[in-house]
Formats: sequence, structure tokens, C-alpha cells
Amino acid sequence: MKKLRDRAAELLSQGVVSLVIGYEEGTKRPRPLFCRNSEGAEKLIFDSHCFHNLAVYITKKELVGKERFAVTAPISTLRSIMQLYVENQLSEEKLLVITVDLSGELREFTTFDEIAAYVAQFELKRGEREQEILSKIEGMTREERWKFWMEEMSHCFKCYACRSACPLCYCSKCVVEVNRPQWINPWPAPLANMEWHINRAMHMVGRCTACGACGDACPVGIPVDLITRKMMEDLAPEFGYVPGQPAKQGNALSSWKLDDREQFIR
Amino acid sequence: MSKIGVFICHCGENISATVDVERVAREIGGMEGVAHAIDYKYMCSDPGQTFIKEAVKKYGLDGVVVGACSPRMHEPTFRRACAEAGLNPYLCEMANLREHCSWVHEKSEETTEKAIDLVKMMVEKVKKNKPLDSIKVPVTKRALVIGGGIAGIQASLDIANTGHKVILVERDPSIGGHMSQLSETFPTLDCSQCILTPRMVEVAQHPNIKLYTYAELESLEGFIGNFKAKIRLKAKSVNYSTCTGCGACIQKCPVKKIPSEFNAGLGTRTAIYVPFPQAVPNKPVIDRVNCNYYKRGACKICEKTCQVGSIEWDKEDEIITEEVGAVVLATGFDVKGTDFFPEYGYGQYKDVLTGLQFERLASASGPTFGEIRRPSDGAIPKKIVFIACAGSRDPAKGIPYCSKICCMYTAKHAMLYQHKVHDGESTVFYMDIRAGGKNYEEFVRRAIEEDTVNYVRGRVARVYEKNGKLIVKGVDTLLGGEQVEIEADMVVLATAGVANCGSEQLAQKLHVSYDPYHFFAEAHPKLKPVETNTAGIFLAGACQAPKDIPETVGMASGAAVKVAALFSNDELVREPVVAVVNRLAPPLYSTCVGCFMCETACPYNAIEHEEIKGRDGSLIRTIARVNQGLCQGCGTCVAFCRSKSIDIQGYTNEQVYAEVMSLLND
Repeated sequence: MKKLRDRAAELLSQGVVSLVIGYEEGTKRPRPLFCRNSEGAEKLIFDSHCFHNLAVYITKKELVGKERFAVTAPISTLRSIMQLYVENQLSEEKLLVITVDLSGELREFTTFDEIAAYVAQFELKRGEREQEILSKIEGMTREERWKFWMEEMSHCFKCYACRSACPLCYCSKCVVEVNRPQWINPWPAPLANMEWHINRAMHMVGRCTACGACGDACPVGIPVDLITRKMMEDLAPEFGYVPGQPAKQGNALSSWKLDDREQFIR
Repeated sequence: MSKIGVFICHCGENISATVDVERVAREIGGMEGVAHAIDYKYMCSDPGQTFIKEAVKKYGLDGVVVGACSPRMHEPTFRRACAEAGLNPYLCEMANLREHCSWVHEKSEETTEKAIDLVKMMVEKVKKNKPLDSIKVPVTKRALVIGGGIAGIQASLDIANTGHKVILVERDPSIGGHMSQLSETFPTLDCSQCILTPRMVEVAQHPNIKLYTYAELESLEGFIGNFKAKIRLKAKSVNYSTCTGCGACIQKCPVKKIPSEFNAGLGTRTAIYVPFPQAVPNKPVIDRVNCNYYKRGACKICEKTCQVGSIEWDKEDEIITEEVGAVVLATGFDVKGTDFFPEYGYGQYKDVLTGLQFERLASASGPTFGEIRRPSDGAIPKKIVFIACAGSRDPAKGIPYCSKICCMYTAKHAMLYQHKVHDGESTVFYMDIRAGGKNYEEFVRRAIEEDTVNYVRGRVARVYEKNGKLIVKGVDTLLGGEQVEIEADMVVLATAGVANCGSEQLAQKLHVSYDPYHFFAEAHPKLKPVETNTAGIFLAGACQAPKDIPETVGMASGAAVKVAALFSNDELVREPVVAVVNRLAPPLYSTCVGCFMCETACPYNAIEHEEIKGRDGSLIRTIARVNQGLCQGCGTCVAFCRSKSIDIQGYTNEQVYAEVMSLLND
């Protein structure tokens, strides 16, 4: 912790970066901290409770400005950062990524490849909660699944917290706000809710890194994160990806390889 | 409110026999925004078009819907009529009441109702149409021809003779292709080299043709009229500007046992070599895989032999860029080897040959100087069996198609054999004889009747070796399935013609589609046989499907005319049905966030990166931009765009949505 604070203070005071995005103690759990000077860096913490995905802030231009900045990132955030690189949303010159490895040592990354090499050591595993709900869902028939999700989605009142929390929902105009034509009905109702959630899921195909931020953000506790997570788990092996390892090889829905084992596409 | 004019055509009786056209016009006339609706017997006729033109002026129409045939048929007609009346042509749409309705349904109430729905959809769409301008792109009047076989040679000469520059790229050290390997050609039995080599020389000497041999296409970027081709000039290790082609190096090269590609593996060549004596250019290259110096670092005998010091050991592959306006693909085909056939010995019997190898045996420039001799012991075969359809027309072998040339060349082979070995006995096993073509049937009859070739209709189940003979076990289906066994001295397989190696990769580089057998796909099987689906790229010869020399030459000239027609324009006019990325006023600039998923999805490489810069030159955002020359309007990017920032002009989300909703809101 001290190493992190010292390093952050050093980076800020030397003007290497103009902003460090990290965590500080919150009321119930750590909350995001934006420090712009070395005094602010004293509040920085980094431990296993810090799971809020800070990658959501780094695409916000009004927040990070034009200068170089740093972000402290646990594994799930690193995955999101990798995907953002793949989608041309970050520039390697502008971003310094800091993490604390298992032995407590500081690690700093400036390129996609460095992060990829580090993240490759960590297998993406289901937590207890995910395992419990997903195994229940996996045991259901198609009809039961539809019923389950219709019931879950009926609680949704379209606050779009899932969208705000997701680091990959960085569009300046979301499809729900497109009104010429109005593809998705804006009011909260079972069918209109489903329209939104199906659209959200389809927009995440091949992109979701299973950070769980959307599910965490949902005020009514819909496990929205499990839809995109399950899709990613199912899709990754089919397309030769490692789950949780975004690769610079395009999108699962648009790219194909010469040595693809499926012949139908040729 | 919109003022739409609707014109319903009877198409003689094609539509009016099953659709109540008057009711369609009446009901559509009552729709909101429709100012004028009529029906007429022949809308495409001069009086029909006059109705449209007059209505545009009289009612001040801001949109026209013609309910008639397929837009493929008459959309240009009606759009021109609208343009003549002063209406933007892209405000005119067609509802297909013929192919989509009257031709496919019985006369009934429902048929008429469907017709009304079809027109209604287009009316709703036209209300959302915007005037569009056609796109103009400049043309680079220089052609790239890939492949220097007879197809590429013919296409290059034809284009060059229209006065345009041609760049001809050939993978091998010499042009000539498969035709240079052939002995004599059906149905006239004139010598292949005698008719080909003058053309090869003409190519080399033509002032408008730039020839790159031992070169391959590395990449092709750009679009019709404006391609950029990167060409890899493989290192020849010989300086062609000083080499005199004396051949002394070839004589002295100690590596002499390399199977000769030109002789289809029947002869040998050296490591520094010219593929054949009549090669163009007639200068050697060093095969670095087999050369002693490149393998072991010592030898350099050729360098010592060379009087003019032309050997360049350290020369590396060079990549050059050429700008061209059109591309002709003439990469030809290949034949399956004998190893493809377990039933005929997996290629382990030396005297089981492919048709191409037999060509080399029969050729005066071949390893036996035109004498038919067994590769195993050099003896003259007294009994020879030809097996047609070896692999072709056999779905079990994955080649269900007919290779087209085998019937003819097998008849030719048998004939040549009979001419050269007077006491020889030849048998042809065949499935059918396909001799469609001028003088082709006569040629086969001549083989059977004058040259007494024994034709047996049936398949050969097995060929195996026994006491130096090849035992051919087959069946004669015309004699009631009687078993036939022949002790042959030589067996020639008319192996299937297949796509050339690397054709799949080449197609992908060029974004040209190909069929399941990796032959390049033409744009339309009947009406666009030399065009590909990628504008500005044309096909010639057997890279599209197996074909014989006259057909190949005809196709090559066809492709050349297409190129010449393209080059007759200074600018190309294209339909504006292309994708566009929306642009908005600052500070938004566009709703595009630059994720470039569209770029990964675009099959035509049409997505570019556009940098939006502030007044001080600093980068504000990078967004997608569509290259209008490359875009084919397929719409894949539109489906991919999460924020709906990209749209197809003329088929916008809004227009298609309006069409669909007009049906759902009924």
C-alpha cells in the first residue's frame, strides 16, 4: 500500500501523469478516488475489496482530460482495459496502468502486450454466486429459462445503471436513445425491458470480459452480468479465444480464420 | 405533407391477370401523402413514362412509386423518366408486383391485398427518401494481369493493343503456363508450343506490357479504377540486366537431380535453371531451396562460370507498388496427382501417369523427345490404358464436377499414341464422352474409327502391378457389366482439374468470392461470366472453372474488353447506395465512437479512419469513414454498429423501419 501511495505521489509530483484513478476507503466498501496531487495520493488503497471497475472512467474525456493519466487496476479492470484497447478506445501513450501483484509488488504497464502477458497467468473462474445461479440456469429447459428471465426482467425499471457501470458501454449515443427510428420502446414494461436487455446482450457478444460491474450496479438485483458472462463462456472456446483474455483479432461476430475448423464459412 | 405519385402497371396481363390493379390504384390513392395514383397497361412504354413525367410536373410530386416488374428490369427506366421531369431519380422506387406477387400467386383477393401491401411499403419508404447524387471516381488506366498462362497472355495482349498499359505478373520463372507443357492440341493436332511461343515473345516485346516473372501479388488495396497492388519480386539471384542467357551456368551446376516442374516430374533440372528452352524471359533463376550454396554455404560454381558476373547471392525479395485501375485474374488450374488415387496405386507405380505427364512424354521438347516410353524402364509400351474421369464426377472424392477437358485430351492422347506406336493397343475407359465443341465429336470419332482406339464404357476398379505389368481391372457396362482385365504397360489417368494452389489465399487478398472447390466465382453464371462480385476485378480462363484453350482465349478477350470499356471513361459513375457515417455539429461531430467493429466486419476494406482535428491541429476524435469507391452497399457495417451511427444511403434504418411498420400497423 505504501509503495503504491509513494509511487502515485511521485508520478503526480513529477508531472508524469496529471491524474491517478484509484480506490479510497468508503462507507461500506472502497470507492473510486481521483487524485490530482500528491496529497490526494495518501488516501489510496488497493486490496481484494477493490473490485469496482475503474475502467469505466478512462473513456470519459471530460474526466481524464488530454494529459497522461494512471489507473490502478485489479485483474478484472485489466481485462476491461485490454478490450478497450482492442476497440481503439485507448492510446498507449496516454495511459499508465498500475497493479499490485500477488506478492505485493507494484507492476506498471504501458502497452496492451504487457497487460496481456500479465493477465494470461490468471484464469477466469466463476465465483460462488455466479456458479450457483448459472448452474441453476444451465439445468433449466428453454421454456423455464425464458420464464426465469422474463420474471427477472419484469423488475427492471430502466435506470440504465448496468449501462453506466459497464466500461464497454462508452457510446456517446446509446441505441435506446436512437429515435429515428425508435428501435427500443423507452418505457419500462416486460416486453420493452426484454428489448433493452436482449439488445444489451447482443452488443456485448464477444466483448464482455465478465467483470460483473453491471450486475453489481443493478439496484433491483437482476443478475444481468450472468447473461453476458455465460455468452462469453460459451462463445470463447468456439472461436478459439481464452475467456477473459481479449485478443487483438477482431470481433467474434466479424472475424474468421483461414484454419477455422468449421468448413461452412469457406 | 408528402406528395407521392403511384403508378400501377398491368404489364400486359402479367400482373393484371391475377391482381386487381384498379383496386390497388384506388386504395393506394386514398393513402395519406399520396397525391396521384393511376394504373396503365404498359408503364414502361413511352406513353406510360409520359404519364409519370406529366404527373411529376402537374402535381409537383416529391416521390414516385411504380408498382410493376423487378427493379432489376426497369428501375433505371423509371428513374430516368423522373430525372427528365426534374425529380431526383433516387426519389423513385419500385414495388415488385410481378416477380414477388402476380407470378407466384393465383388470382385471388389475397393476391391483390398483398400487392396493396407491397405498394404501401414503398410509399412509406419513399416518404423518407432523400435526394442523392451519383458518385464519381477517377480511373487509373493501367491493368494488372495475374498469371502468365495463355489466358493472361491473351488478356494482356488484347488490353495492350487497345493502347493501355498492362502489368503482367507470373509466379514461375517463365510465362507460358500449362499450354507450354502440352504436346499437340485438340481437335486440330497443331503443336502447342508452335502457336504459343510467338505470343510469349510478343508479350515480352510489347511496349505496353511490363512483365514481372518470378513474382507474386502480395496485397491489393483500393477499389475499381484505383487499386494499389503490392507485388513481391522473388529474388532470382541473377541480374537480368547483365545476364545474356548463355546457359553456361546451367551446364555446370552440380545439382542435377531436381524433378523438373515443367516436365511434370518426369525429367530433372539443375538448381540454377530455365524451366524450358523456349522460356520467356530466357534467363535462369536459382532455386534457393535446392542450391548447394544456399543449403550449405559452399559451391558458387555458377558464379565462376558466368562471364558477365550476373550472379547475385545476397539479393533479397523486393516489394514494389503499382497503381492500376483494373485486375484480370488468370491464375489457371492444376491437375490432381496420381497419389490422390489409392485404387490406382497411390502414385507408387512409375508407369501410372497423369494426363499432363503423358503430354510431356508425347511432346518433342519432353524428357523422351516425343517418344512414348515407360518412366520405369524406358521401354515402349505396347498396351496402354487411359482412364477418363479420374476423380472428376465423383462426389466420393469431393470432386462432383466434370473437368471438361479430359474427354478430348484422352482421345488426343490415344490418337498420338497410335500415331507413334503403330503396333500398340490403346484402351480408353470412360463414363460418357463429352465432346461438345466445334469439330470435337468428329475428333473423337476419328480416334475410335481411324485410329482404332478401343473405347470401353465403364469404370476401372483397381490397378496393380504384377510381373512388371499393370493389371487393370474394370467393367464394360455396355456388355452387361462384363469384367474386363487388361495387362497394360502403361496407365494414364485423366485426373481432375482442380483450383490452382494458393487460389483461396489469393481470392481472400483480392476480396473475390470463390466456389466450394476454390475456383473463383463469376458475378452471374450466365450474364456476367468474366466479372467478379468485386467491381474492377475480372476473370479469364481456368481459374474460374476447368476449360479448354479456345474457351480460355475467348474468355480472356472478353475480360480484356471489359477492362478496355472501363478505361474508356475518365471517371466512373456509381450508384450512391453506399454506407455513410453520420456527421453532426461540434462538439459531437458524430455519434460514431470509433470502435471500428465496422472495420472488422467490412468485406470490402471500405472503412477508413478519419481524424477530427481542432483548429489548433490537435486530435479531437477518430471516427470511421466509408470509402465510397470501395463500399458495395452490403450493409454489414450497419448491422454491426451499436450506436446506429452508420447507414446505407437509399436503404436507411429509417426507411426500412418505415416499410416494416407500414405492414405491422395495419
